[in-house]
Amino acid sequence: MWEYRDKVAIAGIGYTELIRRNPRTLASLTVEATDAALADAGLSRADVDGLATTPTMPVYGGEKGNQDGIDVVTPAYLAGALKIRDRITWLGNTAPMVTHAAIDAVNALVAGACTHVVLYRALHMPRGRYSNFTSTHASGKDQFFAPYGFSIPAAWAATVARRYLETSGAKRESFANFVVDNRERAHLNPNAYFRGKTLTRDEYLTSRMIADPITMLDCDLPVDGAVAIVLTRADRARDLHNPPALISGYATSNHAGATGVPMTLEDIRAGAGATGERLWSAAGIDRGDIDIAQLYDGFSIFTYTWLEGLGFCGPGEAAAFIDDGNARPTGSLPLNTGGGCLAEGRLHGMTQLTEAAYQVTGRAGERQIPNARRSVVTVSNGLAGSTAFVISADH
Amino acid sequence: MSQTPLKPLPLADEITGGYWEAARAGRLAVQYCPGCARYVHLPADICPGCDNPDLQWRTVSGRAELYSYTVVHDAPAPGFADSLPYIVGVVELEEQAGLLVTTNLMDVDPDDLRIGLTLDVTFEELAPGTTVPQFRPRKA
Repeated sequence: MWEYRDKVAIAGIGYTELIRRNPRTLASLTVEATDAALADAGLSRADVDGLATTPTMPVYGGEKGNQDGIDVVTPAYLAGALKIRDRITWLGNTAPMVTHAAIDAVNALVAGACTHVVLYRALHMPRGRYSNFTSTHASGKDQFFAPYGFSIPAAWAATVARRYLETSGAKRESFANFVVDNRERAHLNPNAYFRGKTLTRDEYLTSRMIADPITMLDCDLPVDGAVAIVLTRADRARDLHNPPALISGYATSNHAGATGVPMTLEDIRAGAGATGERLWSAAGIDRGDIDIAQLYDGFSIFTYTWLEGLGFCGPGEAAAFIDDGNARPTGSLPLNTGGGCLAEGRLHGMTQLTEAAYQVTGRAGERQIPNARRSVVTVSNGLAGSTAFVISADH
Repeated sequence: MSQTPLKPLPLADEITGGYWEAARAGRLAVQYCPGCARYVHLPADICPGCDNPDLQWRTVSGRAELYSYTVVHDAPAPGFADSLPYIVGVVELEEQAGLLVTTNLMDVDPDDLRIGLTLDVTFEELAPGTTVPQFRPRKA
């Protein structure tokens, strides 16, 4: 078991609105989210001595700039914008995803490198198409994929989803069950982009196909916006406004699969399984202790592979598990209770972390799941670069 | 003068050159490690099994089975806009379980695709001097 289990807590959460295009700068949105998270915790900028993020935009083309404050917001830039440069004792600037920065922040706090960390993610919609491989040549791994028109993650996920459907016998109607049901969660989440925007099964089944069987509604939604959370030691958090959401354990995946294709069904399921074993071991619990699940849904199929990889159901059984209503708020494992990144918006895993924290502290409002004391959180697809957490209520 | 945008062309490097040289000559060649008797793809600088730095290029049969696929409806690059929809297949070469190669699938209707379909390699010249392996259903 991890020596620092339950020693660090999420003490506050702040969101900007999540919209498709915001005329404000990304730095201004990040400051707003930071101030909101601090106010939620009952703290002020003067209390902050650590900042952490992953200040990058996804690759795969698009007209993405690299200007600090506009296209990305580095911790050093934010320290200046918050006028707290002289107070900062630790900055985390971690690849590949913001949940890796979260792990660094937890470790910095237990090491005493700082006392209050603001972990944030600021993302925006680049000009032009989000994915667009405009280079005339492809090098590195891309040389084996881009010449075949296989340079977008939606198409990679589509080969996983296609093999899932053919090997499990599940139909696209199951994805419809999941995505339509998931949208319902968003209507009770004040932060969600799709709050109040209804979705029917017919709309799902006829939505624009990106790479069969992945439609645009199977992809998380790129937005302009920022989210921030305040992390501090649990003993300090207990003196603040909110009940603490404890970090009971974390795990990273280093699972390497076949290399001739970016991802396979079997590899991501195996990677999810190995990550889960590490996670339960760190948190000193087993799967049966989990009340709710916030599983990464950058593409809808990943929730299926996480459910199966983590052992909540057997290989090929997630479709029936979902079709039978187990993932609903009243089911055996309430799943993505705020709508996930399919319905809240693309925040690269922060969606999963914040929803877990809201739920285990009883702060999820209309969508609160009764007696949700432990949430599992997973981010990315299970392969190397993925992360997972157990977030728990205080005891 | 208007120009049809090209598909991205593979940029061979020290590790991958043998793959594209073979394709230009109409052969599918995959790295092979004599030390642990296994094929390696994508090409690597050292064998992922035994660290052997002397991997060999070995011509393979070009026979494969379909492992998974997708029909792409949204062009990921300007050079694909005129090809929509097109098929990307992940194929398993018959030489070794789990030896997967990404390809387009030629001469097949998307409705006839299924996992396990038997395939043979063919070659497509994307631009003068640049040829890539492709796969199509095996003829009865």
